[in-house]
Amino acid sequence: MSLLNPQLGLIRSSMFKKSIFGLSAFILAACSAPEAVNVSGSSTVLPAVSLAADTFVKETGISVVVNAGGSGSGFNQLAEGQTDIGMMSRDITASELEKFSAIDFTKIAIGRDAVVPTISSEIYEAGVQALTLAQIADIYSGRVDNWVEFGGPDRAIFAVDKEASRGTRQIFMGVVMGNPKAETPGTDLVTGSNNEEQTALTQSDSGIGMLSFAWLNEDVKGLSIILDDGRVIAPSLENIRNGSFPFVRDLLVITRSDMKPTAQQFIDYLLGPEGQDAVEQSGYIQVSK
Amino acid sequence: MFNVRNRRHFSEQCFAFAARLSLIICAGVLLFLLGSIFTQGISALSLEFLFTPSSSFGKSGGIFYQLFGSLLMVLAAALLVLPLALGTALFCNSYNSNTGLAHVMDQSLYALNAIPSVTYGIFGLIFFVNLLNTGISWFVGSIILAIMMLPTVTLSTYQAMAAIPKIYHENAAALGLTRTEIVRRVTLPQSFHGIVTGLLIGLSRAIGETAPIMFIATAFSGVTVPQSLVEPVSTLPTHILELAQQSTDPQALQNAWGASLTLVLLAAAFSGLALFLRSRLNSEGHQ
Amino acid sequence: MSTASLLRGKIAPRRRDVTKAYCQASAVLSIVIVSVILLTLLIQSLPVLLSGDNGLLGTRWNPDEGKFGIIAPLFGSVFVMLIATIIAFPIGLLTAIYISETRSSKLRRFIKSVLELLAGIPSIVYGFIGVAYLNIWVADLFDLQSGRIILTAGILLGIMILPTFLTLTEDALSAVPQRYRENAKSLGLYRHEVFTDIIFPQAKVGIAGAGLLALGRALGETMAVMLVIGSLDRLPSPLFNPLSSGQTITSKLGREVGESAFGSVHFSALVFMSFILVSITIALTILSHYFLTRKQADV
Repeated sequence: MSLLNPQLGLIRSSMFKKSIFGLSAFILAACSAPEAVNVSGSSTVLPAVSLAADTFVKETGISVVVNAGGSGSGFNQLAEGQTDIGMMSRDITASELEKFSAIDFTKIAIGRDAVVPTISSEIYEAGVQALTLAQIADIYSGRVDNWVEFGGPDRAIFAVDKEASRGTRQIFMGVVMGNPKAETPGTDLVTGSNNEEQTALTQSDSGIGMLSFAWLNEDVKGLSIILDDGRVIAPSLENIRNGSFPFVRDLLVITRSDMKPTAQQFIDYLLGPEGQDAVEQSGYIQVSK
Repeated sequence: MFNVRNRRHFSEQCFAFAARLSLIICAGVLLFLLGSIFTQGISALSLEFLFTPSSSFGKSGGIFYQLFGSLLMVLAAALLVLPLALGTALFCNSYNSNTGLAHVMDQSLYALNAIPSVTYGIFGLIFFVNLLNTGISWFVGSIILAIMMLPTVTLSTYQAMAAIPKIYHENAAALGLTRTEIVRRVTLPQSFHGIVTGLLIGLSRAIGETAPIMFIATAFSGVTVPQSLVEPVSTLPTHILELAQQSTDPQALQNAWGASLTLVLLAAAFSGLALFLRSRLNSEGHQ
Repeated sequence: MSTASLLRGKIAPRRRDVTKAYCQASAVLSIVIVSVILLTLLIQSLPVLLSGDNGLLGTRWNPDEGKFGIIAPLFGSVFVMLIATIIAFPIGLLTAIYISETRSSKLRRFIKSVLELLAGIPSIVYGFIGVAYLNIWVADLFDLQSGRIILTAGILLGIMILPTFLTLTEDALSAVPQRYRENAKSLGLYRHEVFTDIIFPQAKVGIAGAGLLALGRALGETMAVMLVIGSLDRLPSPLFNPLSSGQTITSKLGREVGESAFGSVHFSALVFMSFILVSITIALTILSHYFLTRKQADV
């Protein structure tokens, strides 16, 4: 027992404790992590960036830390200096720029994508395959409640929305309602990432929602848009590529003027052949084309 | 025919039936929960799963770095909370004679225990990530987890100290030992089991926490072993959260079950060890 | 006094002061941490409280227009908590009665360990099970488009607080000395009368404490609720319809904190909601401890 005492005394002595505290505070306050590149933001851009990051790390040894959270969150973290690259599936808004007017942001498009009004496959197969923008607006504002009004089965429309800060939603609402931050009294369910929205639409048999083009599949079908002049634009790769589909958008990575050289390296990689390959593999359209 | 006696008898039968039914419901729920975690998770679990890093949204690959991150954070948290909880419990037990102060201490610890986990995350975000400008850091996550564990470990330690028979203190005082010497030679060794079980129970809870760390300490992919204190890690709970949002993808689903089973087994291992040590160290008696 | 103790008196004080000072510092630090947390939350809530037309007591949540109505999430939190307690309390109480009347102490210990195991399942795993199973079952049962509704969150939460409530209630029931039961039986009381007339009055303080603790846990739960509630920032219509999606304070925080800019009024509104939540849960916990530690007067 007496042999143990000096050690116990040492551990409990306040000097020792103070020095441990001081040491960790010093380390904490010291410069942030080494070369690792931090990327965060849109769940739409995430798959492409994540895929590119996997190969980037193998080629250069520089690790790329990727985080989700949505376009809004990515921008905020970039502006607050907590991340090196922000991913956004929409443009930076005027109010966001205003909030951080002191910072110089650079927007780089790494791919192209479209937000597609998506419906459950059961409704699609029952005949509702195209709608006008005004009709979609009616659904989300609560004016129309049943698919029968659009030639579909007699079933209540299950409108799925997204969180307000998601880039996908802002693009969708901007085109459909004219206001990216529109309130939608007709919504029945709110989801977060594209994954969650896809799940909700798959589990429903009369749903409508907004998904990135890359998430469409057998269970969730994209609607064609009937324009004012009567043309019906399908959500096909061609229409997205040539911009005729109304919801086309650029997938952006945003940086600040004071970014790390390794961050620049990664962005160059994203725009290069391997990065663009990752973009295409994730279901989006390359920028170089 | 329906006299008082029959009515009372009938009520009793209803009562007994309701109690039995409730037990069956509870047992059923329990079996369902543990059973589904086990049967679904076991098919995803393998040595390969545990030691392979994850890839493509977590749908393929394993959970190696998540496992590492979780263990790193909670073990660091345990190291952080131990000196503080020990000091506080010792104070309450051996050095404090002011009942007002003791009351304040009690309420403070209860208050800490009552704060919801998401609020801890918000606090960490405000205080460390933003005000102290540490950025997303696994060490900050450990600090927050340590604060969350503080009430549990302190209380367990204190209870173990309070349970030491008075006769030990009396004997020690009669031998002329000072208060500090009593602390070192009697209180600490005799309450050692309380310290250890408290830590293990705290660890068991901390490893499953998601909300406190998801804003301040974790990243979705790309993290391996952190090289400094101010880097993010990936953890099991946040990984499960991400996978849970892809629940229509069978691959993601299966990996989520595997990760869930791993997490539950880890938490159970910590608390199981605590229970085992508690009974064993207690039955060894006092020297 | 011997020479030895005189000498010890000279050498010892330095070490004793160090240990004692350390313990005092630790204790003070514990109190300081709580104060810092609460103070930080309060200070960060000020921007939204001080901004004029914040719509805090309304039902609209539109950060763009500066409207931060907390009524809908608050209502959702309370509604979900109610459903959880309706599920957990009766079943928990009856099961606890059954267990406390079990004579075999080995069986009791076994059940207690299993309960502790259940209580140790992390909330994210409950949330995942909710998404994987419960969502779908509820949707099928009520023929809904989606199972992400208030009812699902309530059921999930009820299952989560059940083990904790059960354990504590069982403790309270077992704490009633056996002789009360024996006296009652010898007087010819039936089992349910033994409970309602003898045991329950003795244990009700402990049961109340257990209930309050479970309530606190239900209010503060984030992950499980977040995944299954549907995140709809609106009051359900009609008001007490559990089959619609809704929002709780914790779910809203979990989803939006990462998305709002630090320092903005939006962020401040979220912190304010968190502060309200913390105040309620701390009040519930302190109240519950008061009940749990009150000594019973002998009958």
